[in-house]
Amino acid sequence: MERFDVAVIGAGLLGCFAARELSRRKLDIVLLEAREDVCTGISRANTAVIYPGCDHKPGTLKAEMTVRANAGFDRLCEELNVPLSRCGSLMLSFGPRADAVLREKLRQGQENGVPGLRLLSANEAYRMEPALAPGLSSALFSPTAGTVNPWQLGIAACENAVRNGAQLRRNTRVLAMRTEDGSYRIETDRGVLTARAVVNCAGLAADRVQELLFPPSVRIVPTAGDYVVLDQNCAGRPAHILEYEPEKRGKGLTAVPTVKGNLLLGTTERENTLAYAAAECGLDRVKALAVRILPGLDFSEVIRSFAAVRPNPRSPDGSSIQSFCIEHPAERFWSLIGIKTPGLTCARELGSYISDRLATELDAEQNPLFTPERRGIPKPHSLPYEERKALVGRDPDYGEIVCFCEDVTRAEVLEAIRRGAVTVDGVKRRVGTGMGCCQGARCEQKITAMLAEALGVPESAVCKDGPGSEIVRAEHERL
Amino acid sequence: MRGCKLLIVGAGAAGISAAAAAWDAGCRDILLVDRGIRPGGILPQCLHEGFGMADFGRELTGPEYTALLLTRLGRTGAALQPETELLSVSKDRIAVLSRRGSLEQLHFEHMILATGCREKSIGALCIAGTRPAGIFTAGQAQERINLRNQDLGDEIVILGSGDLGLIMARRFTLEGKHVIAVLEQEAQAGGMARNVRRCIKAYSIPLRCRTTVREIHGEGRVCGVTVEHLDSGARETISCDTLVTALGLIPDREAARGLEGSEWLSLAGNCSRVHDIVDSAAAEATRIGTLIGRQLSV
Repeated sequence: MERFDVAVIGAGLLGCFAARELSRRKLDIVLLEAREDVCTGISRANTAVIYPGCDHKPGTLKAEMTVRANAGFDRLCEELNVPLSRCGSLMLSFGPRADAVLREKLRQGQENGVPGLRLLSANEAYRMEPALAPGLSSALFSPTAGTVNPWQLGIAACENAVRNGAQLRRNTRVLAMRTEDGSYRIETDRGVLTARAVVNCAGLAADRVQELLFPPSVRIVPTAGDYVVLDQNCAGRPAHILEYEPEKRGKGLTAVPTVKGNLLLGTTERENTLAYAAAECGLDRVKALAVRILPGLDFSEVIRSFAAVRPNPRSPDGSSIQSFCIEHPAERFWSLIGIKTPGLTCARELGSYISDRLATELDAEQNPLFTPERRGIPKPHSLPYEERKALVGRDPDYGEIVCFCEDVTRAEVLEAIRRGAVTVDGVKRRVGTGMGCCQGARCEQKITAMLAEALGVPESAVCKDGPGSEIVRAEHERL
Repeated sequence: MRGCKLLIVGAGAAGISAAAAAWDAGCRDILLVDRGIRPGGILPQCLHEGFGMADFGRELTGPEYTALLLTRLGRTGAALQPETELLSVSKDRIAVLSRRGSLEQLHFEHMILATGCREKSIGALCIAGTRPAGIFTAGQAQERINLRNQDLGDEIVILGSGDLGLIMARRFTLEGKHVIAVLEQEAQAGGMARNVRRCIKAYSIPLRCRTTVREIHGEGRVCGVTVEHLDSGARETISCDTLVTALGLIPDREAARGLEGSEWLSLAGNCSRVHDIVDSAAAEATRIGTLIGRQLSV
């Protein structure tokens, strides 16, 4: 039976960062993922915002972690070679009631230690965002807010964890657990292993994973949210992240100018839905709120809509939980249950929190070989001409364009596959193919063919996104 | 830096026609680049007839029409360079061209953009539901079936009754598949009358006007769509394993973004506006090729 020091269950953003932060110590780590790839559960979709830390009560772990995480994000993204846009955010107010909310957020943010916060008059805000709707009364400017591509961040953390010795096991679902000789015996659909410690980052299944060994505590209520994406350089695209809370109840709107130059609009809140299925009412609401603050938007420039699922934590009595649920039901067993916003912002902090505590429990030394740096897949599109030419000179595949919309080359797709992409969406999450205005219509066939060749399977076995999503039914035998 | 007098981007019907016409008008330094492995643009996958009436006086299939266009091009000295992508163009008339193993800047005097059009994606429609496999644009389906010999599914719903949608309805039927319906939100088919007759009526494929798809179902693979009858508001769910979209064509002139109106730039064929039939895109390109060829011959 295989023995590890730590088994991390679930390779979403949290699991990948937990493994990465644990790999700073001399520990044998295994990262278990039920699906075919990392970041395919709740990490597949979110608002992509790196929050400054104004939204949480002073003194809470959420507030403290968010502010610290935000301050460290430039360094983190540099280490992991992931682009970060520090575009800043404007929280908008169109009336006296929201003005009061902004003043409270300002006070809260300042108390939390958020740098650079400024309450702007309407005129100042219009100077920063001329396309904003009339009627603005004030805005709270947070210069440290930013945005990243969440897939790239999670995948980068995983690659870095593996580089530092963690083992990633995909297609490995945890079925049962028990304690045995002071260790945790974990039964998976691919065999049994033991670990001295368990970190449960199983996303929507995190409550059930903990209940394999412990009585129920936190319950997860899956909550879907709808998003709409507009094309790059679309009309009325703001330069800053815009946050708007309507007077009536319901989730507010966030408009995010993404790292790639798209505009992401979200989101809504629909409880008890497990499926990643967008709702008509949700999409309509997102669009309606968006034009309320950005009347110049043209929805003929929409290129995609989708739903995210968030794990809303609830107490057994049904009341909702506002804080991060970091459970420690037994020695050397840690659970992150129901981590939603600002989970992306705090992913590394949460990993590091658990890593520090487990290091004590396991009496682990520093890993002298740990390197925080991970090299991303070279991106010819962002290089000046001479550098791009040199890259093509070194590897001819950098000259062959596969995705025309996003200017992604054959070399990048092959490297994505070499680094673990096994599906068309796996390639997309790593190198951005199919994310442009044609949404993969012109590159999907080439990518399925490349995956088939690299994986040594017929094209009919290549999936869009996980088992059962084969794109082609069959290939007729060639004459 | 390599240079040429006339750079034509896109070797479909329009680009080939423009190149041949420019040569005949006296321009002797023409480079025709195309991103595809073979020239012809979308034509090689159009196995159906219906091309070339205006140009060659008889009804041809896409590959036949391409062959005749290439014969015409072959009589000129225009150079054809396939598998080459135009990455960018600058105001000082330098194009950056990328192909396997080579990235180069090329100076030109005039550029004719003949990059055709692209299909509108279903992503633009904000349809509720999941995002499973089994959804293809009509052009994607056409390429996979006609050129790659692939079997895409058995129970087909086609959203949009433009010409491509109608042609693919027939194609799937001829492949032995069941086309459940072609859905059209307008009161009548979007495609040409001859295609409605030849592709839909001749095969008794139901065309359901004033209907659209409101929701997509299926976890891994699409398993159905919820359809709304726009006049009554009534909805029903249709089981299917494949959804094909023919939502219209959008001129693709992304490479020239911000340069429209430059006097050294012409747009020819579907990248300037979408033509109903390829012959008229080719005819427009021939006119432009002649005009530019004359200017560049002196």
